[in-house]
Amino acid sequence: MPEEPPRVDRPSRGKASFGALILLLAVVLVLVVLSSLAIGAVRIPPRAILSALFGDHPLTDVQRIILLQIRLPRVLASAIVGTALAVSGLMFQGLFRNPMADPYVIGASGGAVLGACIGIFFFSQFSLFGFSATALLAFTGSVITMVIVYFLARSKGRTNVVTLLLAGFAVSTMLGYSSYFFEVLNINSGPGQAILLSWLHGVIGIPRWTQLAVTGALLLSSIILAIPLMRRLNTLALGDEYAHQLGLRVEYTRVGIILTGSLLTAAAVSLGGLISFAGLIVPHVARLLLGPDHTRLLPVTALSGAIFLVFADMLARTVLAPTEIPVGILMAVLGGPFFLYLLRKTKRSYSL
Amino acid sequence: MSPLLSFRDVSFGYDGPEIFQSVSFDLEPGSCTALIGPNGAGKTTLLRLAAGTLRCTSGSIVLNNEPLHSLALKKVARTVALIPQQLDVPFQFTVREVVEQGRTPHLGFLRGPMKEDREAVDRALELADVGELQQRVFNELSGGERQRVKIALGLAQQPKLLLLDEPTQNLDIGRQVELIDLLHFLRDEGITIFASIHELQLVEGNFSSAMLLSPDMPLMKGSPEEILKPSLLEKAFNCPPRRHPMLLERIQRHAKRAG
Repeated sequence: MPEEPPRVDRPSRGKASFGALILLLAVVLVLVVLSSLAIGAVRIPPRAILSALFGDHPLTDVQRIILLQIRLPRVLASAIVGTALAVSGLMFQGLFRNPMADPYVIGASGGAVLGACIGIFFFSQFSLFGFSATALLAFTGSVITMVIVYFLARSKGRTNVVTLLLAGFAVSTMLGYSSYFFEVLNINSGPGQAILLSWLHGVIGIPRWTQLAVTGALLLSSIILAIPLMRRLNTLALGDEYAHQLGLRVEYTRVGIILTGSLLTAAAVSLGGLISFAGLIVPHVARLLLGPDHTRLLPVTALSGAIFLVFADMLARTVLAPTEIPVGILMAVLGGPFFLYLLRKTKRSYSL
Repeated sequence: MSPLLSFRDVSFGYDGPEIFQSVSFDLEPGSCTALIGPNGAGKTTLLRLAAGTLRCTSGSIVLNNEPLHSLALKKVARTVALIPQQLDVPFQFTVREVVEQGRTPHLGFLRGPMKEDREAVDRALELADVGELQQRVFNELSGGERQRVKIALGLAQQPKLLLLDEPTQNLDIGRQVELIDLLHFLRDEGITIFASIHELQLVEGNFSSAMLLSPDMPLMKGSPEEILKPSLLEKAFNCPPRRHPMLLERIQRHAKRAG
């Protein structure tokens, strides 16, 4: 019997089922957020949380303070970080035409951390809209790193995957660890060091509300910027020369993708520091389930990223309670094997 | 009738020495032209120049009476489609998703694909006879299927001129004939065809004219019969006349006609 050509089964691609998926993810996000708000040293029943939202006051004062000043900011921060990492991962994977790119792997996060460090240690007094120079420098750091890695990894209109991964690894390690110089140089500045350490470990702390508002606005505007880029990422998948021949302004598009991806990385780093692999896993799994069309992947990765990180942070808070594991370390431990699996699975098609 | 595309004294080199100098030719609308020549003569380069992906170092390329380099990228892409030899697609894009990219020159800055674009994609899939493959993953197709999908991608641009870079390479003889039939069908639909081709025996009878590009000779253009002269091929391809069956057969045929 002649062998059937291999086929990839995908769920039906109708509009209705896609809408249902988005709805489902939104419901799951609400559930994860609610349970993350409820779980902790002090349990707060989800029902009480819900009715508090609608104006009733069934909570005790202690519960109210825990909810509004500790858990809610942290859960929102996790959601923002998760969405930002997942969407920037999606964009970098599309740009490099490779499922192994993510802001951590290609060094954008490392650059953002270095930028943020400079902000903490040298410009700690500077502030704009309630935000320190940190966010601005984190953005600059990730843009510069991206540009360096991008040009190192490209030759003659192609991205060499091995060079990309090696350059990203080198730059990310170099920048990440050069932050330790700040530790040595600033032995006396206690708070700076604590912040630095939590950044390098990827701790989602308890952000101030102004910080959340600014990062949330940053996230929202970068996602709006990302929407028209998704269709162009599909075109870029055919290769730079082909995209150019189809009338796409390849250079401008690439600059747009790098800037938007870096904006997202900066948003994530300014709240959660170095969190590896989240930006790798979420878009990859979404692509396996839905296919590679970026216009469909954007809403799915944005929602799944939030779900994933809120859940991961809940684990990080509760698994070894009362001790807390930094969520970045949890991600590295769980994400590393996934990355290796991916490397093995794709090495044929990318001739690594 | 004014030509659809003209090269006027076009020279080109990638950074280094020029690959060809002072190449001039016209493509008439509705013609079906084969571009032959030895490896490395610059056939692919010539096609890329015609598609506007490369810019000539001197001379001018004129598309529809307008200089090619002065036209907007999208406008060129709505008139000319180049089907490359190789198309690498990362991830598991389906045939339909790949062909949809051919609509890029018709979309606006924010305007995404609409009904007319979906219809154009349907038509392109149908013309290239790959409608049945549209939900298949591009990377899992056979060589012949891929070739047709690449053509569908080009047709989704709704071009007036279709440039094909060695469309018959790696195809078995059955698939080669299918491809030639497809080109004829497209020509009858009013699309001008310009294809580089190595299978010289496919040129005669299938193309209305032929061009010979060889490093040591000026570009020759004429009917397939004129271009496929054994003496010319022997010189252009630097091939001993009796060492290749096709040349041998042609020499015998010429001798018979002369005698």
